[in-house]
Parts: sequence; structure tokens; C-alpha cells
Amino acid sequence: MINVTLFAILGLVLFGSFIFIALQGGRKKGLPDSSAVRAVTQIINLEGSSFANARRLLDDTDYQTLCSNPDLRKLAEKLRRERKQLVLMWISMLQSDLITLWQFRRFLVQRGVPSSLKEELSTLQALAMSFALLVFIKLSIRTVGPFALPRATRQAGQLVDSMSKGAAVVLGRIPAAGWAEIERSWANSAA
Amino acid sequence: MVLFVTAVALELAAVYLLLRHGLWRVYASLSLYVTWLLAGNFALLVVYLYFPSVYPSYYWHSDSIDIVLRLLVVWEVFHQTFPRGSGLNRTLSKGLGIAAFCLLVFACATFWGYQNYASLRSVHLALDRSFGFVQAVMILGTLLMARYYGVNYGRNVRGIALAFGGWVSLSTANNAMADLTNSFLPYWYYLRPLSFVFMMAVWIWALWVYEPNPPIMESDAAALSQWTEEWNRTISTARTIIRP
Repeated sequence: MINVTLFAILGLVLFGSFIFIALQGGRKKGLPDSSAVRAVTQIINLEGSSFANARRLLDDTDYQTLCSNPDLRKLAEKLRRERKQLVLMWISMLQSDLITLWQFRRFLVQRGVPSSLKEELSTLQALAMSFALLVFIKLSIRTVGPFALPRATRQAGQLVDSMSKGAAVVLGRIPAAGWAEIERSWANSAA
Repeated sequence: MVLFVTAVALELAAVYLLLRHGLWRVYASLSLYVTWLLAGNFALLVVYLYFPSVYPSYYWHSDSIDIVLRLLVVWEVFHQTFPRGSGLNRTLSKGLGIAAFCLLVFACATFWGYQNYASLRSVHLALDRSFGFVQAVMILGTLLMARYYGVNYGRNVRGIALAFGGWVSLSTANNAMADLTNSFLPYWYYLRPLSFVFMMAVWIWALWVYEPNPPIMESDAAALSQWTEEWNRTISTARTIIRP
């Protein structure tokens, strides 16, 4: 009798413990698995965001040094023009990265990876806003030069990073064993 | 009957979710158990409808097999929480293996020690509560161990572990009460299948999207040796303070 009573009490205590743990909540949501982030960068070739010297590209120290010498003003102007072209090229690459990431996410959802309508709409919103910001930065570079908005231009790369994490969250919803197949299909569809 | 059909439908849905996107490869032990549940309960439904005379005996015998197969879920939760090859698995597997063995011996002892089996039902109730209790303790132990070491759970394993733990612990308490007093029997007949249906519903929610446990971030050997050095220094300083 004692044995059975003890089991009844312990069973209820254990049940209470599971309810307690369940009510305490799980882990933080929305953070992609680091292996999924790596896989995304491996599957998709992101030329713009892999460029590491954005800070140096937007640094105007060389230009100011050349400008300080009247004899080198022409050279300074040439440097400015070349930098401007390079920055515009980099921004174009970032735009192309954004489009590729969006297409990759669409490709994953098309292949049956679960995603909600809310997520899809927020991705589209992020894409539209990021694209608009990049167009604005491009316009500002064309009108006032490459060194006018260095901070905003440097942060342009982060837009692609956040989009890349969004794609990694979706990729993380299928087992890692299926990533190789995804990579093959993506390469075939891109070809 | 409604609960019976609901349970079979939910098991079918769980099998479908495991087959979709190849989740059965990741959760192999769980898939085996869910397949057993579907096959066993479907057969039980057929026996109930066409051979009602053998239904009670068939029910209790399939329940006994189920009690053993439930260990597959326990193994799945442990294996997913502390994956093979991880440092935590190497550290804990031996100790937890011994603890699991002791718990199984305890379950056998409490089952054999319970002499007053009034009927066939009581034998199975005793078996169910002894092993159900041990399985609930194993799941809770794994969850607490994971929390202690800061291991994060994904939606899949968290849902599976909590729903299963809740169901087996409630089942333990419920059938102990049914054995204590016959007046509790009518509740036992409804509470157990109801809690089972609830567990299956949570499993379906958990498996709806693939969200495995995030990988355990492991420190390298150099960081560990540095930690050991600092730990030893702290201990020796503490000893000096205690015994000047």
C-alpha cells in the first residue's frame, strides 16, 4: 500500500516538474545555427559581402593627403574618381547578393521547407527597404562622392549579412544531411 | 472509441511528419517507437471491432511491449541532447549509464516486490507504473543535466521530451491511484488515453518544423588547460586563506 501511495505522490511531483519546465519557456528564437550560416555562404557565392576592405575603400586619408599638396590635386581627383567607381561597383555587388539571397530563400520554400506567410512578408519588406537604402547610397555617391557618407556606406554590407542569416534560418529547418542535395539543385537551377 | 480513432489519426500524422524531409533519419529511435504505436494501436482497433473477446488480453500484452519500447524515446532524448562524440557525452555517458541501470534494477525490484496482484490488470498496472516512473526520472534527469550545462533545446526534442515525460509521470500517478482505490478506475479509463492524445498532439506540434538542438559549442584543449590552471590557483589561494 505504501509502495503504491508513494508512486502516486512521486508521479504527481514528476508531472508538476515537467509542467514547470514547460512553462519556463525554451531557447531564444530567430538565431540561425552557425553551421547553417556557413552552409549558406558555401552554397551561394556572395561577392559583395565577402569583400573585407570596405573601411579602407571609404577612407579619405590618402585623398586628403594628396589634396594638401597643390601639385597633386589632379592625382587626388583621379583617385576620387576611381574610388567612386569601385564603391559603386561594390554597392552593385551587394544589391546582386541581396537578390541572390532572396532567390535562394524562395528556392528553399519552393522545395517544401516550412515558412510562415508572416516570415515571407517580413523578408520581402527587408529586401525592399535594403534595396531602397542601397539605391539611395548609390545616388549619394554619384552626387557628393565616395567619402561623403562613409559610415552609411560601410553599414550597407550588414544588410546582406542580415538577409544571409534569414536564409540560414530557413535552411536550418531541414536536416544537414539534405544540404548537399540543396546545393546541387541550386547550382543546377542557377546554371 | 472517439479517443481511440483520434489517437490512431495523430499517430498517422506523426509518422507522416517524420517521413517528410527525412526526419526519421535524424530521429530514428523515435520513428521506430511512433511506427510501433501506429501498428500496435491499429491492430488494437481491429481486435476491438472484430474479436472483442480477446481484446482485454491483447490490450494488456501490447501495453507491456509498449512499456519496454518507451525506452527508445528516452534514448532519443538523451542521444539528441548529448550527441555521440561531444565532450559532454564522453564526460556523462558512463555515469548516466550506471544511473540508468540502477533505475532499471529499481523498476524491476518494485515490480517484483509488489505481491498483491488482485487481477491481470494489477500486474500490468504495477509494471506500467514502475517503468513509467523510471522513464520519467530518466527524462527529467536528462533535462536537468542539460540545463545545468547550458545545453539549449530545439523545438523538436523539447516538445518530445516534455510531452513524453508529462504523459508517463501522469500515467504513473494515475494507475497507482487506480490500484489504491477502485473508485478511481473510471477516471483512469479516460485520463490515460486523454493524456496520450495530448502527448501525440504536442509531438505533432514539435515535429511540424525541423528545429533540432543547436550544436554544443566546445572549448579547445588550450582553454580547458588554462581554466584548470586558474582553478588550481584559486583553490590553493582559498586553502591559504583558510589555513594561514
